[in-house]
Amino acid sequence: MALGKMKRHSKQFVPPKLHITSMMDMFTIILIFLLFSFSNKPETINIDKNLKLPESIAKLDRKESIKLVLSLTNLTLEDEVIASVKDGKIVGLDPHKLKESNIYQKLKVYREEEIESEDEGEARKHVIFLCDKRLSFKIINTVIKAAAMAGYPNFQFAVLKK
Amino acid sequence: MSKLRQYRRKSSEEIEIDLVPIMNMFLVLIPFLLMSACFFHLKVINTSIPVLSEAATDAPKEKDVKVTVIVEIDKNSIHLSTVSDSIAQEKLDRWSTEVKKKQNEEYPLDNVSKHLERIKERYPASTTLIIIPEESVIYDTIIQTMDVARYSKGVPLFPNVVLSGKVG
Repeated sequence: MALGKMKRHSKQFVPPKLHITSMMDMFTIILIFLLFSFSNKPETINIDKNLKLPESIAKLDRKESIKLVLSLTNLTLEDEVIASVKDGKIVGLDPHKLKESNIYQKLKVYREEEIESEDEGEARKHVIFLCDKRLSFKIINTVIKAAAMAGYPNFQFAVLKK
Repeated sequence: MSKLRQYRRKSSEEIEIDLVPIMNMFLVLIPFLLMSACFFHLKVINTSIPVLSEAATDAPKEKDVKVTVIVEIDKNSIHLSTVSDSIAQEKLDRWSTEVKKKQNEEYPLDNVSKHLERIKERYPASTTLIIIPEESVIYDTIIQTMDVARYSKGVPLFPNVVLSGKVG
């Protein structure tokens, strides 16, 4: 009896119709948005969420370079925090004794390693500065000087595309 | 007659397109595009600090004369001047100007751009510009000045930007 009822029910069962059109619309919008933000070489830079980069009309893409991040709180070289920033000054970095600073010593090591690889035909690297746009020139200039003394007089400023 | 009626009935029926394969395609495409999506575009500006170089020995022609533009940024103004190895400084002094900033306003970079355009028009071979900001100048201002100095309406002005601290 029960089995017969079930049979009758299954005969009456009509699969519900899905409204695919609205879903299609949604997917189309998502697809277009993603196509616009498509990049063949996604950036793999880890940056502090508080870091605000300046905007610029620059069109040059970055190449392989040594990454130096100067935020309102830290100075980071290749993802390693090497000094903290307090009251607009880098702690432990005396502008008159740059050669004794941690940043100079570390960049010097990079440069020496690079000189060896340059002999093997590798191109010269740049230092790329990712600086917070609210910082003053005073603090940036100290880091630039240290980098130049370590053998990197040409450098790049990272900016966001306007 | 009956054939015509059959045709009319057929054409009035709704034709349903099978959207499921398209949906499948979208479902494959979306994760792929999400993985390669880039939500901020990082660009770079090439710059350097001043380096010592040997002066050119031959006197160039008037048209090939290169001047170096110096842009000094301080708290309240931007001072523009030019220097050159092959032109007397008195002659270049007429290119010196000062663009003042109004209180609580941004630097008038449009005026700077216009002046730089005039210098470039007079000395088209020039490509170098030195920016000398005061210590208190904000990094964002330096980048905006660099933008103005490097390009104007898509035309290159002084693409070699050198950043220097004030000496003395």
